[in-house]
Amino acid sequence: MLPERNQMIRRPKTDYPLLDGFRTVRIKFSKMGSMQYISHLDMQRNIGRVLTRADIPMWYTKGFNPHAKVIFALPLSVGAQSECEYIDLRIERDMPCEEIRDRLNAEMTQEMQVCEAYVPGEKADFSTIAWADYDITIRCGGMDDALPAAVEQFLSTSPVTVEKKSKSGLREIDIVPLIRTLTVALDGASTDALRTLRLHATLSTAGADYLNPEYIIRVLKDRFSLLCGDPKIEEYSIIRRRVLLQDGETEFR
Amino acid sequence: MSTELNHPSSACPYSSTVLKSVQKPGRYSGGEYGQIIKDKAAVKARFAFCFPDSYEIGMSNLGMRILYGVLNREEDIWCERVFDPWIDMQEEMKKHDLPLCAHESGDPLTAFDFVGFTLQYEMSYTNVLNMLDLAHIPLRAADRGEDDPIVIGGGPCAYNAEPVADFFDLFNIGEGEEMLTELVRLYIKMKDEGTYSRAAYLHEAAKTVQGAYVPSLYDVTYNDDGTVRAYTPVYDDIPKQVKKRIIKDLDTAYFPDKVVMPYVETVQDRIMLEVYRGCIRGCRFCQAGMVYRPVREKTPAVLNRQAKCLFESTGYEEMSLSSLSISDYTQLDELTDQLLSWTDDHMVSLNLPSLRVDSFTKELMDKISTVRTSSLTFAPEAGTQRLRDVINKNVEEEDLMRAVGVAFEAGKSQVKLYFMNGLPTETDEDVKGIATLAERVIRRFYETPGRPKKAPQVTVSVSCFIPKPFTPFQWEAQDTLEELERKQKFLVSQITDRKIRCNQHDARVCRVEAVLARGDRRLGAALELACREGFKFDSWDEFFDYDRWMSVFERSGIDPAFYANRVWGEDEVLPWDIIDCGVTKAYLKRERARAYAETTTPNCREHCNGCGANSLGGERSCCPNATK
Repeated sequence: MLPERNQMIRRPKTDYPLLDGFRTVRIKFSKMGSMQYISHLDMQRNIGRVLTRADIPMWYTKGFNPHAKVIFALPLSVGAQSECEYIDLRIERDMPCEEIRDRLNAEMTQEMQVCEAYVPGEKADFSTIAWADYDITIRCGGMDDALPAAVEQFLSTSPVTVEKKSKSGLREIDIVPLIRTLTVALDGASTDALRTLRLHATLSTAGADYLNPEYIIRVLKDRFSLLCGDPKIEEYSIIRRRVLLQDGETEFR
Repeated sequence: MSTELNHPSSACPYSSTVLKSVQKPGRYSGGEYGQIIKDKAAVKARFAFCFPDSYEIGMSNLGMRILYGVLNREEDIWCERVFDPWIDMQEEMKKHDLPLCAHESGDPLTAFDFVGFTLQYEMSYTNVLNMLDLAHIPLRAADRGEDDPIVIGGGPCAYNAEPVADFFDLFNIGEGEEMLTELVRLYIKMKDEGTYSRAAYLHEAAKTVQGAYVPSLYDVTYNDDGTVRAYTPVYDDIPKQVKKRIIKDLDTAYFPDKVVMPYVETVQDRIMLEVYRGCIRGCRFCQAGMVYRPVREKTPAVLNRQAKCLFESTGYEEMSLSSLSISDYTQLDELTDQLLSWTDDHMVSLNLPSLRVDSFTKELMDKISTVRTSSLTFAPEAGTQRLRDVINKNVEEEDLMRAVGVAFEAGKSQVKLYFMNGLPTETDEDVKGIATLAERVIRRFYETPGRPKKAPQVTVSVSCFIPKPFTPFQWEAQDTLEELERKQKFLVSQITDRKIRCNQHDARVCRVEAVLARGDRRLGAALELACREGFKFDSWDEFFDYDRWMSVFERSGIDPAFYANRVWGEDEVLPWDIIDCGVTKAYLKRERARAYAETTTPNCREHCNGCGANSLGGERSCCPNATK
């Protein structure tokens, strides 16, 4: 006999009445740990499977090739973690948001969990997102107490150029205007073999001005010769903490 | 090794800096949904299941999905996955002295009780050795100590694994679902009793577990002409010939109800539903068609339940019905009806690979019309009826024309045709027949009323015949490399229509594969040398280097022609005679004689041809007098 699948007890989705048309539900979820190595494209495919496993009453587009609509707010580059990824779904049944959250969480690992599912406000579409807060942490040797001030100085004086890939080929951009705020701190004592440099930065996410936090790492590495020791112990991390509106302070919701 | 910065809950052994420096790090970071994590202090045996190729290929393997579930079903056994890291990752590992580790725990392979390799194709042998090397496990079984893992192998190549016999402690011959657990159970029992030693365990396994082949317990001698003289067991109480294991009843056999879900896209990123094992056809070149006998079917109700269960636990949007020739399943209509009763509603598309042209109907086509691809694949294997009769393909040209007609009427415009060149008795007339057949398919397209309003495309994909153990053609010579390449050029010259595309396998790869397929233990020296010289990913065109292979053979005293291009004697002792796969040598000889007489043999359902596999038993098999 086939073993029964260990499913949480849940009502069939057909218990919930059909809506007139569809309802948009916004999902805020985390993407931590090993999930940081999963590309945006792979994420899109996998979210689709999570939605199927969770038996979410998805609304399908009407047409020759019906498909569920799942819209991602912002891309996240491979190697960056996040506590605040957003997707919008369209559902066709009146299933409560809390239940959608719980169903999804049962079908994902600890490294990817929904913190909130809700119906977004009318004017709260993803185009209102302009900034994101990041914690960027570099753990390596050879950092002295003067480094935080030097990093702040360096990243606030134009131009700091990086080469950015775009549709029209490589172009040089100055990243300083794309950094809204920046604070830098250094952990540990000067006698420690390894110390941790902590940057807290608000970076632009607006369209063509999207600043990939990887660029911050890249310019610091070059300018201050960081992360050139043993790659088994020296490392950096990027965590997206909050997504913000145009004013750079109000959290997107 | 990784700090709190990057891996809050994952066991990934590689630092984030290393992972961020390689392509597609999701192949190494682990943490997939559905992976099985156990408390390593609480389990009694740890098994590292290794697939000797990339993550994308290994994660697509149905056998691995099944055996991972079978072993992990046992509370005190923990089975983990291991894949061959891609070249860039291997370089990082070498540079920073990082050993090969298992996905789930991140522990090095040396921490395991068992390291198992699935041997799916001969060209992965260099990856097997390379992975042992990356894991810091001594290559040769004879050099392993009491604390080293027991290295075992299984899969289709285990039917003649003599070329890699020196590197394995034990092979599983046949289907592993029951045998693998028995082998691990025996290990746990001997450890518990305090009777375990490496040698005692291997002896006991060879003695008591059917299908366990311990190569070191059989001495091989050779004749002056280089052929095998004899295999002699070193103990009186182990079998003189190792009989393969089968699962008798597939309805009650374990089939996974959930799988590990890869985040990275894999080759077979879908549900794979195994419908039946074995094949009724008896194509004379086909090893799978012989060694997986007897045919054993699952019932539609069981399959439907397994499919539904897998859909719910994976969320996959596509399902493949897998078996050697899906249209030979006796209850295909019933099965597809049951599946379609829910797959359409859930937007799951059905995929039927391995369709035979003689059973491809409009009705079947309609059922799988949800498949979005505009291309269909058929395998006539040879260009003329004469040669198709020689190989017992039992397909008529009119079958193919009818099948492609159905496809064209249904709106398809692309057809892929598989062929082989270098088959026994092949002449230039037969090679030319491939081009002619492709042209007729094009013509059939234009004769089809209601055909799509675009140009047709026929892709002709041609591989080279490789004589394989346990087939009626096991004694045949492969054409010389020069002859294979001449035939390939000749075929290209015969194709004039630009709507016909022709892909031909690299004949040099096929030649090395032929050497390994019929190899004996003396090839071990060549493989070891190849490993020392860094051979890897030889099934990938970009890494295969024929001249280096020839150099390795030469320096190891191996004459490739002895293995690949010689007609072997029917009375010769074959390296794989040590294995009993159910099908008898007498049957293979009869089939070979019928090939030369250009006589076909009816399929197993029409007529029993006495191949011998019925002695293995099996439920819902088509064998008369099957031993139950």
